Amino acid sequence: MIDAAIKTIFVLLYVTVAFIMTRRDIISLISTYATQSFLLACLAGLLYMQERHATLLWLAALILIIKMVLIPSTIRSIQKKMKRDMEFAYVSPTGSLMLSIVIILLSYGALSHLLRELGLGQLFALGAITGVSFTMMGLVVIFSRKLVLTKIIGYLAMEDGVMIFSMFVAELPLIIEALILVDLFMLIILSTILALGMETTIEEVHKRLQVLVGEEK
Amino acid sequence: MIALLNILVAVLISPLFMTFIKKVKAWAQRRQGPPLLQGYYTFMKLLKKETVLSTNSSWIMRWAAPINLAVMIIAALFIPIVGIGGSGNILLFLYLLALAKFFMALAGLDAGSTFGGMGSSREMTISAVIEPVTVIVFAALAYVLGTMDIHRMALAVLANGPQAALVLISMSLFIILIVETARVPVDNPETHLELTMVHEAMILEQSGKNLAFMELAHAIKQTLLMGLLMSVLFPYGLATETTLVALVFGIGAFIVKGLCISFFVGLFESSMAKSRLFLLPNLFMLAYFFSFLTILFEVFA
Repeated sequence: MIDAAIKTIFVLLYVTVAFIMTRRDIISLISTYATQSFLLACLAGLLYMQERHATLLWLAALILIIKMVLIPSTIRSIQKKMKRDMEFAYVSPTGSLMLSIVIILLSYGALSHLLRELGLGQLFALGAITGVSFTMMGLVVIFSRKLVLTKIIGYLAMEDGVMIFSMFVAELPLIIEALILVDLFMLIILSTILALGMETTIEEVHKRLQVLVGEEK
Repeated sequence: MIALLNILVAVLISPLFMTFIKKVKAWAQRRQGPPLLQGYYTFMKLLKKETVLSTNSSWIMRWAAPINLAVMIIAALFIPIVGIGGSGNILLFLYLLALAKFFMALAGLDAGSTFGGMGSSREMTISAVIEPVTVIVFAALAYVLGTMDIHRMALAVLANGPQAALVLISMSLFIILIVETARVPVDNPETHLELTMVHEAMILEQSGKNLAFMELAHAIKQTLLMGLLMSVLFPYGLATETTLVALVFGIGAFIVKGLCISFFVGLFESSMAKSRLFLLPNLFMLAYFFSFLTILFEVFA
């Protein structure tokens, strides 16, 4: 019963990441991310019911407070109802989804042998593959979005991937180290947005910083 | 017996679902909307009207509408609407839908009007993109449930209970329902604007009985795709035996489930605007992604 529920949550998580890749407005992007966080909290809760590690329960509570409430509300307050089209760069949503299929297949190919060696159960192997795929798909979101604000959602999706992988395969210290790293990236980007304006792109940031460097001789 | 009842209910109930979607969209815009039986009134009104045909048109224009209706009635044999009885190969069902679309597009071109030709051209462009996706979705469905027969698929879901992968496939089927029935964001059934018309442009030259048949065939197609979605997602309530109680319960369950899906379709349409033609592959790709993921999921888990 718990296994079936976990599988259903995996399915729904994939649906949310597909929507994150294709949505064009920031409001629905944030709502989808909040839904993804809620599903992640449910996943941690279900794993707690199976494994009985109190840490998982704390993790579920933290995800609910930080990832479902705090982060989305912070981004919402920064963007102040920006209803403009969130542009894509380099890869269109169609291309992103095709890339995602390749990523999932590659993750399966790369990990299946290793996971068999580790002797993990099917559900845990699926968790590991989902985690790695999510991390890579987060990267796709980062380079397929033009505005810096929307790139943050990519970092957050990457963070979710690390969390899923850690919940199913790795130990807790790895979760903390990896998540702090991703959070640091986001903090820097959020500060950049606050400093340089809402509609900032990486190219514009580069252009402004170039002033400090001066012209090459 | 069940197969005939499936056809009868599909034909009789289809205009109700069509009108209910219009009603939900009207509610979303704070309007009252048409009466629930408006679809039937319109059908009866059109049946009484004279069929006017262009002097340029050939036998295709005359026969496209009856052929469309006949094909949809045959396709109704394939879907468990009220109960599970008979057989329904999913590939043959797909071919029947394609055949109906082919004749509709031919009729659009046959009248010689610019609008009809434009609609047919757009419809064929969309079909060329959505059909590979539909094939993948149906292949995933057959792979997960281990059969090509739609009736047996419903039986498999009833026997094994709901599966996680079926949630994904249901989303793909929902996207196919939206695309095949020419709804927002693919097409706008409410408008006759040159810029947005696809389905409406193809039937613009139809009149009288032929238009009534075309409209009814379109409504039946929507009901059949809804029936397919229900057979996969929630087949509970389908009659598996030919007793009066089971059949009446089956009809009631289908109406309730159909109204629920219609309500959702109405809300879905109200929540978004029509997409530009070149943005449509994004939506189709979502359906492809979900069905591909379904197959992967079955292999992984």
